[in-house]
Amino acid sequence: MIEIFNDLYKKLAGFFRPEEKENVKEVACNRLKLVLMQDRTNLTPQLLERMRGELIDLLSKYVEMDREALELNFAQEGDSMALMLSIPVLRAKDEAEIQAIIDAEEEAKSKEQNAKGEAEEIEEDFVPEDEEISEAYEEEVEETDEDLTEEIEEEVCACGTPEESEEEE
Amino acid sequence: MTGRVIVITSGKGGVGKTTTSANIGTALAKAGQKVVLIDTDIGLRNLDLLLGLENRIVYTIIDVVEERCKLKQALVKDKKNPNLCLLAAAQTRDKSALSQEQLKEICDELKKDNDFIIVDCPAGIEQGFQNAISGATEAIIVTTPEMSAVRDADRIIGLLEAKEEIESYRLLLNRVRPNLIQSNDMMSVEDVVDILSCTLIGIIPEDTGVITSTNKGEPIVNDEKSLAGKAYQNVAKRIMGEEVDFIDLNEPRGIVEKVKKFFSGLLGKEQRA
Repeated sequence: MIEIFNDLYKKLAGFFRPEEKENVKEVACNRLKLVLMQDRTNLTPQLLERMRGELIDLLSKYVEMDREALELNFAQEGDSMALMLSIPVLRAKDEAEIQAIIDAEEEAKSKEQNAKGEAEEIEEDFVPEDEEISEAYEEEVEETDEDLTEEIEEEVCACGTPEESEEEE
Repeated sequence: MTGRVIVITSGKGGVGKTTTSANIGTALAKAGQKVVLIDTDIGLRNLDLLLGLENRIVYTIIDVVEERCKLKQALVKDKKNPNLCLLAAAQTRDKSALSQEQLKEICDELKKDNDFIIVDCPAGIEQGFQNAISGATEAIIVTTPEMSAVRDADRIIGLLEAKEEIESYRLLLNRVRPNLIQSNDMMSVEDVVDILSCTLIGIIPEDTGVITSTNKGEPIVNDEKSLAGKAYQNVAKRIMGEEVDFIDLNEPRGIVEKVKKFFSGLLGKEQRA
């Protein structure tokens, strides 16, 4: 008698719960942990994209890589959060190539510094009426920097709203 | 007497803030505490319905701040428990009709002759939320074991931590479904607590009785037999500083569950042998 019930129960249990079932709970936990990490960092998708671009520029100095295929993601490493960067390398650059890039960069840097120094000198020389000149100089020198900060601010503003509305959903 | 001001909040809507407010308020009042429930969901008031007081409201919180009546006149006494009062929200206005300072003033005034002020917060993180937390020193964050609710709770915790006046906050996990947790289809209590790293104040099982009790306008804590009611009563005890064990939700309750457990026990023995 008991066997019949057992058999029936097994069949029922088998019907309602297939053996190899996906562990939905684990999936939910992992997805949630990841999304919370991103929420807590205050990095918007736009900022992440920007970070990706900057990393590509930096790393391209040393290796030739597939720009499109570079992946930047958050991942769980035990209890802590990790920023995972996967870089598909096409070709290693040889020493001379790398050195040339570094030299060029350093030259550009020193030029920039010289320009800044000159700007400061002018400022010191003509204190009363130099405002326009020095400003023009500074603008020239810091043009790139300013553009960058503006861009960041814009991005932050732009993503404020969609982010919030996402959360409300 | 200086009462404690506790805000019930969640971020996400529909997780049970108002139900929780009504039940905690009623349970505290039943334990002999003087309690005022404040509905700050202006424009979308519902706390009156859950308490069955919708026909007794004459003045609302907006009438108080716009000085059309005294604070005492706007407090509606509960049908059963004279220790419990409701300060209702206005239905025909919006959140901007109330400011943080005004709500804080009302809370400070009510603190003088009540043990507990329970503030029912609207969903969202905008002005309504900022208003609701302005008078509080404690918070209870209501969430369910669902991803969206937990994510929103995390955001609320961040906002509460940034607010100096909030001295402590605890988590209330609502609508827990033990059978879904056992089959690994839902996040467990431990999972949620772990993810949010927040102290628990209560675990409320999913209970169809909550729907019927809402329909009747009577909080489920008044139903002695209900499991959810018991869980809410335990929350009230913990608020008052008692140490109460959490209800074991994995214990089989219904006849079907018990039969199932019996057979799965047999099955287990057979498999081991």
